[in-house]
Amino acid sequence: MTQRPIGEAPSRRAFLARSAALAATARLAAASTGAEDPPAPKSLVIDCHAHLHHHSSPSWEASDEALVAAAERVGIDRLCCSILTPKRPATADGFRECNGWVLDAMRRHDGRVLGYCYVNPGAGAEAVDEVKRRVGDEGFVGVKLYNERFCDDPIVFPVIEAAIELGAVILHHAGHVHHPLPGQPFISDGGRLATLARRYPEAKLICGHLCGGGDWEWTIKALRHAPTVYLDTSGSVPDDGVVEAAVAALGVDRLLFGCDLSRTTGVARLRAAEISDEDRAKILGGNMARLLEGVRR
Amino acid sequence: MILDVNAYLGPFAFRALRRDDAPGLLSRMDAKGIDRAAVSSALAITYRNVQPANERLAADVRGRDDRFIPIAVLNPAYAGWEDDLRACRDLGFRGLRIYPKWHGYSLSDPACLDLVDAATEAGMPITIPIRVEDVRNQALLTDVAEVPLAEIAALVAARPKARFVLLNGVGFINGPLGRAGALPDNYLIEISRPTSIPTDEVGRLLTALGPGRLAFGTGMPFQYPDIALLKLELLRASDADKARITWGNAAAWLGLGG
Repeated sequence: MTQRPIGEAPSRRAFLARSAALAATARLAAASTGAEDPPAPKSLVIDCHAHLHHHSSPSWEASDEALVAAAERVGIDRLCCSILTPKRPATADGFRECNGWVLDAMRRHDGRVLGYCYVNPGAGAEAVDEVKRRVGDEGFVGVKLYNERFCDDPIVFPVIEAAIELGAVILHHAGHVHHPLPGQPFISDGGRLATLARRYPEAKLICGHLCGGGDWEWTIKALRHAPTVYLDTSGSVPDDGVVEAAVAALGVDRLLFGCDLSRTTGVARLRAAEISDEDRAKILGGNMARLLEGVRR
Repeated sequence: MILDVNAYLGPFAFRALRRDDAPGLLSRMDAKGIDRAAVSSALAITYRNVQPANERLAADVRGRDDRFIPIAVLNPAYAGWEDDLRACRDLGFRGLRIYPKWHGYSLSDPACLDLVDAATEAGMPITIPIRVEDVRNQALLTDVAEVPLAEIAALVAARPKARFVLLNGVGFINGPLGRAGALPDNYLIEISRPTSIPTDEVGRLLTALGPGRLAFGTGMPFQYPDIALLKLELLRASDADKARITWGNAAAWLGLGG
Protein backbone atom coordinates (compact mmCIF):
# COMPACT_ATOMS: atom_id res chain seq x y z
CA MET A 1 0.00 0.00 0.00
CA THR A 2 1.36 3.36 -0.98
CA GLN A 3 0.18 6.54 0.52
CA ARG A 4 1.71 9.92 0.54
CA PRO A 5 0.68 12.77 2.78
CA ILE A 6 -1.01 15.36 0.68
CA GLY A 7 -3.05 18.40 1.15
CA GLU A 8 -3.48 20.82 3.91
CA ALA A 9 -5.47 20.34 7.06
CA PRO A 10 -9.18 20.84 6.44
CA SER A 11 -10.29 24.28 7.39
CA ARG A 12 -12.40 25.44 10.32
CA ARG A 13 -14.85 26.83 7.74
CA ALA A 14 -15.45 23.36 6.29
CA PHE A 15 -15.90 21.95 9.76
CA LEU A 16 -18.57 24.52 10.54
CA ALA A 17 -20.36 23.93 7.26
CA ARG A 18 -20.64 20.21 7.89
CA SER A 19 -21.55 20.64 11.54
CA ALA A 20 -24.36 23.00 10.58
CA ALA A 21 -25.65 20.45 8.10
CA LEU A 22 -25.68 17.67 10.68
CA ALA A 23 -27.39 19.87 13.23
CA ALA A 24 -30.02 20.98 10.74
CA THR A 25 -30.86 17.40 9.92
CA ALA A 26 -31.10 16.44 13.56
CA ARG A 27 -33.48 19.36 14.17
CA LEU A 28 -35.61 18.27 11.25
CA ALA A 29 -35.82 14.72 12.53
CA ALA A 30 -36.68 15.95 16.00
CA ALA A 31 -39.45 18.11 14.59
CA SER A 32 -40.92 15.19 12.69
CA THR A 33 -41.02 12.96 15.76
CA GLY A 34 -42.00 15.59 18.27
CA ALA A 35 -39.13 14.58 20.48
CA GLU A 36 -37.64 17.19 22.76
CA ASP A 37 -34.10 16.02 22.21
CA PRO A 38 -32.66 15.46 18.76
CA PRO A 39 -32.45 11.73 18.04
CA ALA A 40 -29.16 10.00 17.62
CA PRO A 41 -27.71 10.28 14.11
CA LYS A 42 -28.45 6.61 13.43
CA SER A 43 -32.15 7.43 13.25
CA LEU A 44 -31.72 9.77 10.32
CA VAL A 45 -32.60 8.71 6.82
CA ILE A 46 -29.76 9.64 4.51
CA ASP A 47 -29.86 9.09 0.77
CA CYS A 48 -26.18 8.54 0.01
CA HIS A 49 -26.64 8.64 -3.78
CA ALA A 50 -28.59 11.50 -5.26
CA HIS A 51 -28.16 13.91 -8.14
CA LEU A 52 -29.19 17.47 -8.66
CA HIS A 53 -29.80 18.73 -12.16
CA HIS A 54 -27.29 20.29 -14.51
CA HIS A 55 -28.08 23.92 -15.14
CA SER A 56 -28.11 23.48 -18.90
CA SER A 57 -31.61 22.13 -18.34
CA PRO A 58 -34.06 25.05 -18.37
CA SER A 59 -36.09 23.34 -15.65
CA TRP A 60 -33.17 22.59 -13.33
CA GLU A 61 -34.40 24.75 -10.48
CA ALA A 62 -37.94 23.34 -10.47
CA SER A 63 -36.54 19.81 -10.83
CA ASP A 64 -34.22 20.33 -7.87
CA GLU A 65 -37.05 21.69 -5.75
CA ALA A 66 -39.26 18.77 -6.74
CA LEU A 67 -36.50 16.34 -5.79
CA VAL A 68 -36.08 17.86 -2.34
CA ALA A 69 -39.84 17.93 -1.80
CA ALA A 70 -40.19 14.32 -2.91
CA ALA A 71 -37.45 13.27 -0.54
CA GLU A 72 -39.21 14.97 2.33
CA ARG A 73 -42.49 13.30 1.41
CA VAL A 74 -40.98 9.82 1.65
CA GLY A 75 -39.10 10.56 4.85
CA ILE A 76 -35.59 11.22 3.62
CA ASP A 77 -33.81 13.67 5.92
CA ARG A 78 -30.74 14.28 3.88
CA LEU A 79 -29.65 14.01 0.25
CA CYS A 80 -26.00 13.49 -0.63
CA CYS A 81 -25.84 15.03 -4.08
CA SER A 82 -23.58 15.53 -7.03
CA ILE A 83 -24.09 17.11 -10.43
CA LEU A 84 -22.46 15.45 -13.41
CA THR A 85 -21.53 17.04 -16.70
CA PRO A 86 -23.90 16.01 -19.52
CA LYS A 87 -20.96 15.00 -21.68
CA ARG A 88 -18.07 12.96 -20.41
CA PRO A 89 -15.17 12.76 -19.92
CA ALA A 90 -15.67 15.93 -17.96
CA THR A 91 -13.32 18.81 -18.43
CA ALA A 92 -11.89 20.52 -15.34
CA ASP A 93 -13.98 23.59 -16.11
CA GLY A 94 -17.00 21.38 -16.47
CA PHE A 95 -16.71 19.62 -13.11
CA ARG A 96 -15.77 22.83 -11.31
CA GLU A 97 -18.94 24.44 -12.65
CA CYS A 98 -21.04 21.48 -11.47
CA ASN A 99 -19.51 21.58 -8.02
CA GLY A 100 -20.21 25.29 -7.74
CA TRP A 101 -23.88 24.61 -8.36
CA VAL A 102 -23.83 21.89 -5.71
CA LEU A 103 -22.39 24.38 -3.24
CA ASP A 104 -25.22 26.78 -4.09
CA ALA A 105 -27.74 24.01 -3.40
CA MET A 106 -26.09 23.12 -0.10
CA ARG A 107 -26.58 26.72 1.02
CA ARG A 108 -30.07 27.03 -0.45
CA HIS A 109 -31.38 23.91 1.27
CA ASP A 110 -29.92 24.57 4.70
CA GLY A 111 -28.42 21.24 5.63
CA ARG A 112 -30.80 18.99 3.74
CA VAL A 113 -28.41 18.75 0.79
CA LEU A 114 -24.85 17.57 1.27
CA GLY A 115 -22.34 17.78 -1.50
CA TYR A 116 -20.17 15.34 -3.37
CA CYS A 117 -17.33 16.88 -5.31
CA TYR A 118 -17.41 15.37 -8.80
CA VAL A 119 -14.10 15.16 -10.64
CA ASN A 120 -12.60 13.39 -13.61
CA PRO A 121 -9.35 11.90 -12.30
CA GLY A 122 -7.90 12.28 -15.76
CA ALA A 123 -7.64 16.00 -15.08
CA GLY A 124 -4.70 15.24 -12.78
CA ALA A 125 -3.68 18.03 -10.42
CA GLU A 126 -6.79 20.03 -11.26
CA ALA A 127 -8.95 17.17 -9.97
CA VAL A 128 -6.94 16.89 -6.78
CA ASP A 129 -7.04 20.63 -6.20
CA GLU A 130 -10.80 20.64 -6.71
CA VAL A 131 -11.25 17.91 -4.08
CA LYS A 132 -9.08 19.80 -1.59
CA ARG A 133 -11.00 23.01 -2.18
CA ARG A 134 -14.51 21.62 -2.04
CA VAL A 135 -14.05 19.14 0.81
CA GLY A 136 -11.35 20.96 2.72
CA ASP A 137 -12.69 24.48 2.46
CA GLU A 138 -16.35 24.37 1.48
CA GLY A 139 -17.86 21.54 3.48
CA PHE A 140 -18.43 18.89 0.83
CA VAL A 141 -18.61 15.45 2.42
CA GLY A 142 -17.17 13.35 -0.34
CA VAL A 143 -15.95 12.73 -3.84
CA LYS A 144 -18.03 11.44 -6.72
CA LEU A 145 -16.21 9.45 -9.38
CA TYR A 146 -17.97 8.34 -12.53
CA ASN A 147 -16.86 6.25 -15.49
CA GLU A 148 -14.08 8.28 -17.06
CA ARG A 149 -11.45 5.89 -15.70
CA PHE A 150 -11.38 2.48 -14.13
CA CYS A 151 -11.13 3.02 -10.40
CA ASP A 152 -7.92 0.98 -10.17
CA ASP A 153 -6.18 2.96 -12.90
CA PRO A 154 -3.12 4.60 -11.27
CA ILE A 155 -4.22 7.99 -12.60
CA VAL A 156 -7.07 7.81 -10.06
CA PHE A 157 -4.79 7.23 -7.08
CA PRO A 158 -3.95 10.90 -6.29
CA VAL A 159 -7.68 11.64 -5.99
CA ILE A 160 -8.16 8.67 -3.68
CA GLU A 161 -5.22 9.80 -1.58
CA ALA A 162 -6.61 13.33 -1.33
CA ALA A 163 -9.95 11.95 -0.19
CA ILE A 164 -8.24 9.77 2.41
CA GLU A 165 -6.32 12.77 3.72
CA LEU A 166 -9.56 14.69 4.13
CA GLY A 167 -11.51 11.74 5.50
CA ALA A 168 -13.94 12.14 2.62
CA VAL A 169 -16.33 9.51 1.36
CA ILE A 170 -15.76 8.28 -2.22
CA LEU A 171 -18.91 7.32 -4.11
CA HIS A 172 -17.97 5.44 -7.26
CA HIS A 173 -20.30 4.77 -10.17
CA ALA A 174 -20.21 1.03 -10.76
CA GLY A 175 -21.83 -1.81 -12.60
CA HIS A 176 -21.22 -5.30 -13.89
CA VAL A 177 -23.09 -6.35 -17.01
CA HIS A 178 -22.75 -9.40 -19.22
CA HIS A 179 -23.30 -7.44 -22.41
CA PRO A 180 -21.21 -4.36 -23.24
CA LEU A 181 -22.62 -1.04 -22.12
CA PRO A 182 -22.38 1.39 -25.03
CA GLY A 183 -20.65 4.55 -23.97
CA GLN A 184 -19.22 3.16 -20.73
CA PRO A 185 -16.02 1.32 -21.70
CA PHE A 186 -14.34 2.26 -18.42
CA ILE A 187 -17.12 1.52 -15.97
CA SER A 188 -15.76 0.03 -12.75
CA ASP A 189 -17.38 -2.90 -10.99
CA GLY A 190 -17.29 -4.45 -7.56
CA GLY A 191 -14.20 -6.45 -8.45
CA ARG A 192 -12.21 -3.37 -9.39
CA LEU A 193 -13.39 -1.55 -6.27
CA ALA A 194 -12.22 -4.52 -4.21
CA THR A 195 -8.83 -4.23 -5.91
CA LEU A 196 -8.69 -0.51 -5.12
CA ALA A 197 -9.67 -1.21 -1.51
CA ARG A 198 -6.81 -3.65 -1.09
CA ARG A 199 -4.44 -0.87 -2.14
CA TYR A 200 -6.17 1.76 0.02
CA PRO A 201 -7.89 0.00 2.93
CA GLU A 202 -8.37 3.31 4.74
CA ALA A 203 -10.39 4.78 1.87
CA LYS A 204 -14.12 5.19 2.49
CA LEU A 205 -15.22 3.60 -0.75
CA ILE A 206 -18.85 3.24 -1.75
CA CYS A 207 -19.70 0.99 -4.67
CA GLY A 208 -22.57 2.79 -6.35
CA HIS A 209 -26.10 1.65 -7.13
CA LEU A 210 -26.34 -2.06 -6.49
CA CYS A 211 -29.79 -1.92 -8.07
CA GLY A 212 -28.74 0.03 -11.13
CA GLY A 213 -25.46 -1.64 -11.93
CA GLY A 214 -26.35 -4.81 -13.77
CA ASP A 215 -25.93 -8.25 -12.22
CA TRP A 216 -26.30 -7.46 -8.53
CA GLU A 217 -25.60 -11.02 -7.45
CA TRP A 218 -22.18 -10.74 -9.13
CA THR A 219 -21.50 -7.42 -7.41
CA ILE A 220 -22.37 -8.76 -3.97
CA LYS A 221 -20.12 -11.78 -4.43
CA ALA A 222 -17.27 -9.64 -5.77
CA LEU A 223 -17.35 -7.45 -2.65
CA ARG A 224 -17.65 -10.24 -0.11
CA HIS A 225 -13.98 -10.23 0.74
CA ALA A 226 -13.45 -6.47 0.48
CA PRO A 227 -14.49 -5.52 4.00
CA THR A 228 -13.74 -1.82 3.66
CA VAL A 229 -15.99 -1.25 0.66
CA TYR A 230 -19.53 -0.04 1.31
CA LEU A 231 -22.34 -0.77 -1.10
CA ASP A 232 -25.25 1.52 -1.82
CA THR A 233 -28.65 0.05 -2.58
CA SER A 234 -29.80 2.66 -5.09
CA GLY A 235 -31.14 2.19 -8.57
CA SER A 236 -34.29 1.49 -10.52
CA VAL A 237 -34.11 -2.31 -10.60
CA PRO A 238 -37.06 -3.61 -8.54
CA ASP A 239 -35.74 -7.13 -7.96
CA ASP A 240 -37.03 -8.88 -4.88
CA GLY A 241 -34.52 -10.09 -2.31
CA VAL A 242 -31.56 -7.90 -3.20
CA VAL A 243 -31.25 -6.20 0.20
CA GLU A 244 -31.54 -9.45 2.10
CA ALA A 245 -28.92 -11.06 -0.15
CA ALA A 246 -26.53 -8.18 0.44
CA VAL A 247 -27.05 -8.30 4.20
CA ALA A 248 -26.43 -12.05 4.24
CA ALA A 249 -23.22 -11.83 2.23
CA LEU A 250 -21.68 -8.55 3.38
CA GLY A 251 -23.24 -7.83 6.75
CA VAL A 252 -25.56 -4.96 7.50
CA ASP A 253 -22.84 -2.50 8.49
CA ARG A 254 -21.55 -2.17 4.92
CA LEU A 255 -24.83 -1.23 3.29
CA LEU A 256 -26.02 2.31 2.61
CA PHE A 257 -29.44 3.47 1.54
CA GLY A 258 -29.63 5.40 -1.70
CA CYS A 259 -32.06 6.16 -4.49
CA ASP A 260 -30.03 7.62 -7.38
CA LEU A 261 -32.81 8.58 -9.82
CA SER A 262 -35.49 6.26 -8.39
CA ARG A 263 -36.74 7.71 -5.15
CA THR A 264 -39.91 5.65 -4.64
CA THR A 265 -38.28 2.37 -5.62
CA GLY A 266 -35.31 3.12 -3.42
CA VAL A 267 -37.47 3.76 -0.38
CA ALA A 268 -39.83 0.85 -1.06
CA ARG A 269 -36.90 -1.54 -1.36
CA LEU A 270 -35.86 -0.78 2.20
CA ARG A 271 -39.43 -0.81 3.41
CA ALA A 272 -39.84 -4.29 1.93
CA ALA A 273 -36.61 -5.85 3.10
CA GLU A 274 -37.14 -8.62 5.63
CA ILE A 275 -34.59 -7.46 8.16
CA SER A 276 -34.79 -6.21 11.70
CA ASP A 277 -35.78 -2.61 12.38
CA GLU A 278 -32.36 -2.08 13.91
CA ASP A 279 -30.66 -3.26 10.74
CA ARG A 280 -33.01 -1.20 8.59
CA ALA A 281 -32.10 1.91 10.57
CA LYS A 282 -28.43 1.22 10.03
CA ILE A 283 -28.88 0.97 6.27
CA LEU A 284 -31.26 3.91 6.06
CA GLY A 285 -28.85 6.27 7.71
CA GLY A 286 -26.87 5.00 10.65
CA ASN A 287 -24.02 3.63 8.60
CA MET A 288 -23.77 6.73 6.43
CA ALA A 289 -23.98 9.02 9.45
CA ARG A 290 -21.01 7.20 10.89
CA LEU A 291 -19.08 7.73 7.67
CA LEU A 292 -20.01 11.41 7.52
CA GLU A 293 -18.99 12.03 11.09
CA GLY A 294 -15.61 10.65 10.16
CA VAL A 295 -15.00 13.39 7.61
CA ARG A 296 -11.99 15.17 9.00
CA ARG A 297 -12.77 18.64 10.27
CA MET B 1 -59.76 -5.22 -2.18
CA ILE B 2 -56.51 -5.58 -4.10
CA LEU B 3 -56.06 -7.57 -7.28
CA ASP B 4 -52.48 -8.06 -8.46
CA VAL B 5 -52.49 -8.34 -12.27
CA ASN B 6 -48.76 -9.03 -12.46
CA ALA B 7 -47.76 -12.15 -10.51
CA TYR B 8 -45.91 -15.36 -11.31
CA LEU B 9 -45.07 -18.79 -10.04
CA GLY B 10 -41.46 -19.88 -10.51
CA PRO B 11 -38.91 -21.03 -10.98
CA PHE B 12 -37.25 -18.65 -13.43
CA ALA B 13 -34.36 -19.85 -15.57
CA PHE B 14 -31.83 -17.11 -14.81
CA ARG B 15 -32.25 -16.17 -11.16
CA ALA B 16 -33.41 -17.81 -7.97
CA LEU B 17 -36.70 -16.31 -6.86
CA ARG B 18 -37.90 -16.33 -3.26
CA ARG B 19 -41.19 -17.93 -2.35
CA ASP B 20 -41.96 -18.71 -5.96
CA ASP B 21 -44.38 -21.56 -5.34
CA ALA B 22 -48.10 -21.21 -4.67
CA PRO B 23 -47.88 -21.37 -0.84
CA GLY B 24 -44.99 -18.91 -0.91
CA LEU B 25 -46.82 -16.44 -3.08
CA LEU B 26 -49.92 -16.77 -0.93
CA SER B 27 -47.93 -16.00 2.18
CA ARG B 28 -46.53 -12.91 0.51
CA MET B 29 -49.99 -11.81 -0.63
CA ASP B 30 -51.32 -12.24 2.90
CA ALA B 31 -48.46 -10.24 4.35
CA LYS B 32 -49.06 -7.38 1.94
CA GLY B 33 -52.86 -7.36 1.99
CA ILE B 34 -53.31 -8.55 -1.57
CA ASP B 35 -56.53 -10.49 -2.06
CA ARG B 36 -56.09 -12.06 -5.45
CA ALA B 37 -53.40 -12.44 -8.06
CA ALA B 38 -53.34 -13.16 -11.78
CA VAL B 39 -50.49 -15.64 -12.05
CA SER B 40 -48.60 -17.16 -14.94
CA SER B 41 -45.66 -19.51 -15.17
CA ALA B 42 -42.17 -18.02 -15.10
CA LEU B 43 -40.85 -21.29 -16.50
CA ALA B 44 -42.89 -20.74 -19.65
CA ILE B 45 -40.84 -17.65 -20.46
CA THR B 46 -37.90 -19.82 -21.48
CA TYR B 47 -39.54 -23.11 -22.38
CA ARG B 48 -39.66 -23.82 -26.11
CA ASN B 49 -42.97 -25.64 -25.69
CA VAL B 50 -44.87 -23.59 -23.14
CA GLN B 51 -47.79 -25.91 -22.55
CA PRO B 52 -46.21 -28.18 -19.90
CA ALA B 53 -45.50 -25.04 -17.87
CA ASN B 54 -49.13 -23.97 -18.16
CA GLU B 55 -50.28 -27.42 -17.06
CA ARG B 56 -47.94 -27.32 -14.08
CA LEU B 57 -49.27 -23.91 -13.07
CA ALA B 58 -52.85 -25.15 -13.36
CA ALA B 59 -52.01 -27.97 -11.00
CA ASP B 60 -50.22 -25.65 -8.60
CA VAL B 61 -53.18 -23.28 -8.22
CA ARG B 62 -55.90 -25.93 -8.24
CA GLY B 63 -58.29 -25.49 -5.33
CA ARG B 64 -57.18 -21.89 -4.74
CA ASP B 65 -59.42 -20.10 -7.20
CA ASP B 66 -60.44 -17.86 -4.34
CA ARG B 67 -56.94 -16.31 -4.54
CA PHE B 68 -55.33 -17.14 -7.88
CA ILE B 69 -56.50 -16.35 -11.41
CA PRO B 70 -54.49 -18.54 -13.77
CA ILE B 71 -53.05 -16.81 -16.83
CA ALA B 72 -51.74 -18.91 -19.72
CA VAL B 73 -48.49 -18.19 -21.50
CA LEU B 74 -48.91 -18.91 -25.19
CA ASN B 75 -46.50 -18.67 -28.10
CA PRO B 76 -48.12 -18.08 -31.48
CA ALA B 77 -44.85 -18.82 -33.25
CA TYR B 78 -44.87 -22.40 -31.96
CA ALA B 79 -46.77 -25.28 -33.46
CA GLY B 80 -50.12 -26.14 -31.96
CA TRP B 81 -50.88 -22.92 -30.08
CA GLU B 82 -54.54 -23.26 -31.05
CA ASP B 83 -54.67 -26.63 -29.28
CA ASP B 84 -52.87 -25.14 -26.29
CA LEU B 85 -55.37 -22.30 -26.08
CA ARG B 86 -58.30 -24.73 -26.06
CA ALA B 87 -56.59 -26.85 -23.43
CA CYS B 88 -55.92 -23.81 -21.28
CA ARG B 89 -59.53 -22.71 -21.49
CA ASP B 90 -60.56 -26.19 -20.35
CA LEU B 91 -58.09 -25.92 -17.47
CA GLY B 92 -59.72 -22.70 -16.28
CA PHE B 93 -57.23 -20.11 -17.47
CA ARG B 94 -58.82 -16.67 -17.57
CA GLY B 95 -56.32 -14.67 -19.59
CA LEU B 96 -53.14 -14.81 -21.68
CA ARG B 97 -49.59 -13.59 -21.21
CA ILE B 98 -47.40 -13.22 -24.27
CA TYR B 99 -43.63 -12.68 -24.64
CA PRO B 100 -42.95 -11.62 -28.25
CA LYS B 101 -39.28 -10.79 -27.66
CA TRP B 102 -38.50 -13.93 -25.65
CA HIS B 103 -40.38 -16.17 -28.07
CA GLY B 104 -39.17 -14.51 -31.24
CA TYR B 105 -42.11 -12.97 -33.05
CA SER B 106 -43.56 -9.54 -33.71
CA LEU B 107 -46.85 -8.28 -32.38
CA SER B 108 -47.82 -7.57 -35.97
CA ASP B 109 -47.17 -11.13 -37.19
CA PRO B 110 -50.31 -12.76 -38.58
CA ALA B 111 -50.02 -15.63 -36.11
CA CYS B 112 -49.91 -13.20 -33.19
CA LEU B 113 -52.95 -11.37 -34.49
CA ASP B 114 -54.71 -14.73 -34.85
CA LEU B 115 -53.91 -15.51 -31.21
CA VAL B 116 -55.18 -12.11 -30.10
CA ASP B 117 -58.39 -12.65 -32.06
CA ALA B 118 -58.87 -16.13 -30.61
CA ALA B 119 -58.32 -14.86 -27.08
CA THR B 120 -60.74 -12.00 -27.65
CA GLU B 121 -63.33 -14.44 -28.96
CA ALA B 122 -62.83 -16.45 -25.77
CA GLY B 123 -63.19 -13.36 -23.57
CA MET B 124 -59.61 -13.56 -22.33
CA PRO B 125 -57.59 -10.38 -21.69
CA ILE B 126 -54.05 -10.41 -23.06
CA THR B 127 -51.31 -9.32 -20.70
CA ILE B 128 -48.00 -8.17 -22.20
CA PRO B 129 -44.91 -7.82 -19.99
CA ILE B 130 -42.79 -5.11 -21.59
CA ARG B 131 -39.81 -6.78 -19.96
CA VAL B 132 -39.08 -9.68 -17.63
CA GLU B 133 -36.06 -8.16 -15.92
CA ASP B 134 -33.90 -5.11 -16.41
CA VAL B 135 -31.84 -5.50 -19.58
CA ARG B 136 -28.69 -4.61 -17.62
CA ASN B 137 -29.17 -7.69 -15.46
CA GLN B 138 -29.48 -10.19 -18.28
CA ALA B 139 -27.26 -13.24 -18.37
CA LEU B 140 -24.72 -13.88 -21.09
CA LEU B 141 -27.09 -16.25 -22.86
CA THR B 142 -29.91 -13.73 -23.06
CA ASP B 143 -30.03 -10.40 -24.81
CA VAL B 144 -33.74 -9.80 -24.99
CA ALA B 145 -35.00 -6.32 -25.74
CA GLU B 146 -38.04 -4.72 -24.19
CA VAL B 147 -41.23 -4.78 -26.24
CA PRO B 148 -41.34 -1.37 -27.96
CA LEU B 149 -44.32 0.68 -26.87
CA ALA B 150 -44.84 1.70 -30.50
CA GLU B 151 -45.50 -1.95 -31.41
CA ILE B 152 -48.01 -2.22 -28.59
CA ALA B 153 -49.71 0.98 -29.66
CA ALA B 154 -50.04 -0.42 -33.18
CA LEU B 155 -51.51 -3.65 -31.82
CA VAL B 156 -54.12 -1.99 -29.60
CA ALA B 157 -55.12 0.17 -32.55
CA ALA B 158 -55.34 -2.84 -34.86
CA ARG B 159 -57.46 -4.89 -32.46
CA PRO B 160 -59.88 -2.47 -30.73
CA LYS B 161 -62.12 -5.27 -29.44
CA ALA B 162 -59.29 -7.03 -27.65
CA ARG B 163 -58.37 -6.17 -24.05
CA PHE B 164 -54.73 -5.67 -23.17
CA VAL B 165 -52.99 -5.25 -19.83
CA LEU B 166 -49.51 -3.76 -20.16
CA LEU B 167 -47.09 -4.93 -17.45
CA ASN B 168 -43.61 -3.81 -16.38
CA GLY B 169 -43.53 -0.87 -18.74
CA VAL B 170 -42.49 2.76 -18.43
CA GLY B 171 -42.62 5.84 -20.61
CA PHE B 172 -46.23 5.50 -21.70
CA ILE B 173 -46.81 9.16 -20.98
CA ASN B 174 -44.45 10.14 -23.78
CA GLY B 175 -46.45 8.47 -26.54
CA PRO B 176 -49.94 7.68 -27.78
CA LEU B 177 -50.53 5.06 -25.07
CA GLY B 178 -50.47 7.91 -22.55
CA ARG B 179 -52.76 10.29 -24.46
CA ALA B 180 -56.51 10.23 -24.14
CA GLY B 181 -58.25 9.62 -27.43
CA ALA B 182 -55.13 8.69 -29.34
CA LEU B 183 -55.97 4.98 -29.25
CA PRO B 184 -58.93 2.77 -28.36
CA ASP B 185 -59.52 2.50 -24.62
CA ASN B 186 -58.86 -1.23 -24.72
CA TYR B 187 -55.78 -1.36 -22.51
CA LEU B 188 -54.84 -1.01 -18.87
CA ILE B 189 -51.43 0.15 -17.69
CA GLU B 190 -50.01 -1.63 -14.65
CA ILE B 191 -48.29 0.73 -12.20
CA SER B 192 -45.28 -1.11 -10.77
CA ARG B 193 -42.74 0.43 -13.17
CA PRO B 194 -43.94 3.88 -14.22
CA THR B 195 -42.31 6.51 -12.05
CA SER B 196 -43.84 7.94 -8.91
CA ILE B 197 -42.60 11.10 -7.23
CA PRO B 198 -41.09 13.41 -8.22
CA THR B 199 -41.60 12.88 -11.98
CA ASP B 200 -44.84 10.98 -11.30
CA GLU B 201 -45.72 9.16 -14.49
CA VAL B 202 -48.42 7.27 -12.58
CA GLY B 203 -50.11 10.51 -11.57
CA ARG B 204 -49.80 11.98 -15.03
CA LEU B 205 -51.30 8.85 -16.59
CA LEU B 206 -54.18 9.09 -14.16
CA THR B 207 -54.76 12.68 -15.19
CA ALA B 208 -54.37 12.00 -18.90
CA LEU B 209 -56.33 8.77 -19.21
CA GLY B 210 -58.64 8.76 -16.20
CA PRO B 211 -59.01 6.25 -13.38
CA GLY B 212 -60.38 3.54 -15.62
CA ARG B 213 -57.09 2.90 -17.37
CA LEU B 214 -54.67 1.88 -14.62
CA ALA B 215 -54.26 -1.42 -12.78
CA PHE B 216 -52.34 -2.52 -9.74
CA GLY B 217 -49.58 -5.11 -10.11
CA THR B 218 -46.53 -6.09 -8.13
CA GLY B 219 -44.37 -8.34 -10.30
CA MET B 220 -44.02 -10.83 -7.45
CA PRO B 221 -41.90 -12.84 -6.97
CA PHE B 222 -39.53 -11.09 -9.38
CA GLN B 223 -40.07 -7.72 -7.72
CA TYR B 224 -40.57 -6.32 -4.26
CA PRO B 225 -44.35 -5.83 -3.91
CA ASP B 226 -43.82 -2.75 -1.77
CA ILE B 227 -42.74 -0.74 -4.80
CA ALA B 228 -46.20 -0.81 -6.36
CA LEU B 229 -47.80 -0.46 -2.94
CA LEU B 230 -45.80 2.69 -2.20
CA LYS B 231 -46.62 4.15 -5.60
CA LEU B 232 -50.28 3.56 -4.87
CA GLU B 233 -49.90 5.14 -1.44
CA LEU B 234 -48.22 8.23 -2.91
CA LEU B 235 -50.70 8.63 -5.75
CA ARG B 236 -52.92 11.64 -5.25
CA ALA B 237 -56.30 10.13 -6.07
CA SER B 238 -59.66 9.62 -4.42
CA ASP B 239 -60.44 6.38 -2.63
CA ALA B 240 -62.94 5.61 -5.38
CA ASP B 241 -60.33 6.04 -8.08
CA LYS B 242 -57.83 3.95 -6.15
CA ALA B 243 -60.43 1.22 -5.80
CA ARG B 244 -60.78 1.11 -9.56
CA ILE B 245 -57.02 0.81 -9.91
CA THR B 246 -56.58 -1.86 -7.26
CA TRP B 247 -59.62 -3.91 -8.18
CA GLY B 248 -62.42 -2.65 -10.38
CA ASN B 249 -60.76 -2.14 -13.73
CA ALA B 250 -58.97 -5.47 -14.00
CA ALA B 251 -61.58 -7.43 -12.06
CA ALA B 252 -64.21 -6.50 -14.61
CA TRP B 253 -62.06 -7.77 -17.45
CA LEU B 254 -61.30 -11.01 -15.62
CA GLY B 255 -64.95 -11.58 -14.74
CA LEU B 256 -64.39 -11.35 -11.00
CA GLY B 257 -67.14 -8.91 -10.16
CA GLY B 258 -67.04 -7.16 -6.83
